[in-house]
Amino acid sequence: MKNILEINHLSKSYKSIKAIKKLTFSIQEGQAYGLLGPNGSGKTTTLSIISGILKQDSGSFLWFGEEANASQRLRIGSLIETPHFYPYLNLERNLKILCEIKKQSYKDIDRVLKETKLYDRRKSKFRTLSLGMKQRLGIAAALLGDPEILVLDEPTNGLDPEGIAEVRETVLKQVRRGKTLIIASHILSEVEKICSHLAILKQGDLLATGSIKEILSEEEMIEFSSSDNEMLKQKLESSNLIKEIEQTNGLLTAHLEKDVDSGDINNFAFENKITINHLISRKKSLESQFLELVKD
Amino acid sequence: MKKLIRIEQIKILNYTPFRILLLLYVVFFTLGIVIYPLIDKEIPIISLSDLFRFPDVWTFLTWITEPYNILLALIVIMMTTNEFSNHTFKTQVIFGLSRKELITQKLILIFLLASFATILIGVTSISLGLIYSYKLTFKIAMENIELMAIYFLSSATYMIFGLFFALIIKNTALSILTFIGLRSFVEPILFLLLRKTEIRWYMPMRATTQLTPLPNLIEIFKDKMNNPEAIEDTAIDILPKGLPLWLNILVVMGYVTVTVYFSYRIMGRKRLT
Repeated sequence: MKNILEINHLSKSYKSIKAIKKLTFSIQEGQAYGLLGPNGSGKTTTLSIISGILKQDSGSFLWFGEEANASQRLRIGSLIETPHFYPYLNLERNLKILCEIKKQSYKDIDRVLKETKLYDRRKSKFRTLSLGMKQRLGIAAALLGDPEILVLDEPTNGLDPEGIAEVRETVLKQVRRGKTLIIASHILSEVEKICSHLAILKQGDLLATGSIKEILSEEEMIEFSSSDNEMLKQKLESSNLIKEIEQTNGLLTAHLEKDVDSGDINNFAFENKITINHLISRKKSLESQFLELVKD
Repeated sequence: MKKLIRIEQIKILNYTPFRILLLLYVVFFTLGIVIYPLIDKEIPIISLSDLFRFPDVWTFLTWITEPYNILLALIVIMMTTNEFSNHTFKTQVIFGLSRKELITQKLILIFLLASFATILIGVTSISLGLIYSYKLTFKIAMENIELMAIYFLSSATYMIFGLFFALIIKNTALSILTFIGLRSFVEPILFLLLRKTEIRWYMPMRATTQLTPLPNLIEIFKDKMNNPEAIEDTAIDILPKGLPLWLNILVVMGYVTVTVYFSYRIMGRKRLT
């Protein structure tokens, strides 16, 4: 796998506010990479810097292993924040300008307009579009020329539920075709459905990076009681099956180690001649883990 | 390059305010010239149509049409500040234009508009010259033709100043105010205050205006006047002597170079939002 994007110690401040602090991570070919974080965590700042519209204070980034330059951006389809086009030009002419920039033939315009269900509005002026349509045009523009890489900043902003589902489908289609995707979002479920890899940002700090499975491992937690709770607790504490265990009101609650499930606990109790009479397995939701990660 | 021309073409040809301003430019331009033959009959002794003869027509027309270049500068200001207010500079960079190309785009627009203005004045001068000249030889007609190049320079310089103000100010109304304020109020006042010194000829707007100065009317009308000598003596004091033409051109080119350089530099560092 070759590196598509490498970010090294990237920092940017707006006056006294540090938007991102020494951000370092890299994205490989074919990954669907999510930048996840609450509002103001530095997602858009990061994407703006790698898209050339904002200069970093320090640090560097490499696209395709090279210093950033304008011609690299011809291989990238981007939507940063809200899409901005010429309000007095119709959709077709707006996309013609972008075709010229990206050195693409005008033929591609119809394809992307159909893909985003804007074909019927192709002769409308940009300013007459609704917010959702503008957002869809932004995605259409990003798809122009079938770029190897898509950089999308909250692509479902301002869309209705149907629109969100459609955009997600469009994006997933690109991912399945092997395109590299960099997507920023504060909506966990969106990232979860689309991405394979993740970077979690909070107030400009990188909290975690890696594959979704690594970061948000679906940690298992079990609640159980047995014929001899005290005994079982002691035995489990000296075993290597659990991370922690606590006893409340005759119930034991345990966080399991990786690759350990409730069945293993049951067997362990059986081997120690203790009968478990109640066992409930609880998987922690991604949502609560995410909130835990970004919480102070 | 071709790419940038086509992009600029799509932007301007479909923009109504641009078409209206350009039309206004042509209308003002024509009216400004047509008015002279019309008022001709009101003035005794001299005939204004003398001004339309070769080779004086070049000098006279470049002088009277010079202020219309302000309108062209306003068009450039408008097209540039629009890119800021519509956030389309940002979009173009995201899609792969370099920041340098953003400026080059606008310099192309300036080149096109200056060419348009120069062709317009060229065609008008030749037409009027052909209508009003008694003696017509190719040599006489082509005397002063270099004024076309100078006119192009002055027209482009105004627009380059306009572009620069638009880049640093970003706001249409404020940029226009700064441009007109500097050209029509600040510099003329300074020009009067500094009348004892040579510096006054080096001010950017003044130097540009002076590229196509008031023609020596006395010289033109001399033949028709009863007592030309008497007028000529006093006129020498009245007509301000600016810089020699070659130096004036150098000064303006210096301003153009510096302004273009800083335009690229400013754009290279600007936060595009």
